[in-house]
Amino acid sequence: MSKRVAFKDLVKVDLVDLSTFARSVRFNSASERIDVSGFNATGSNEYLAGTTEQSVTIEFYGSYGTGEVHATLYPLHKNRTNCVIHWRPDGTTPVGPTNPELTGTCQVLTYGPGATRGEADTYEVEFTASDPAGLTFVTA
Amino acid sequence: MTTYKVTGPVAFDDHEPGEEFDADYDEDLESRAVERGSITIVKGNRKKKGADEE
Repeated sequence: MSKRVAFKDLVKVDLVDLSTFARSVRFNSASERIDVSGFNATGSNEYLAGTTEQSVTIEFYGSYGTGEVHATLYPLHKNRTNCVIHWRPDGTTPVGPTNPELTGTCQVLTYGPGATRGEADTYEVEFTASDPAGLTFVTA
Repeated sequence: MTTYKVTGPVAFDDHEPGEEFDADYDEDLESRAVERGSITIVKGNRKKKGADEE
């Protein structure tokens, strides 16, 4: 298994390839920890996994042209639309065991573009998994 | 099946800008893509919400 530097990642939102406008991706999947501890000799706690919250946070460059970042994301947020997102490490090669693709149906629950004078216009957008299938890595 | 052309500046559904392709999208996805300028319809009618599919 080789290490990698992220160059060729594929980021697709609602079928639009926004890879060139994205510069970081962070997947988060966390299950609630339910304490089901009973009396025991060691005093150790016992846990079960509860509900799972999943999201993907992507940092985009602000771009306001036709079919670009804002034109893609803002209507999804404004209209509370479910959309499918895709992310995989290498967009130049097909999905496979060494190039797994994260995919799932999400909503853009918060949307907050902004800008700072003299700096690259970037902002993070969180995509929250919004159906029972959740966000999963597929390899085929 | 509808024929679309990618009119946006980036690829759409793995089709490059300027490329024509056939697909059968649901009306909501088609509507969003057309309105944002990602694609245009080359052949076939734009789907209407609530219309019966044949």
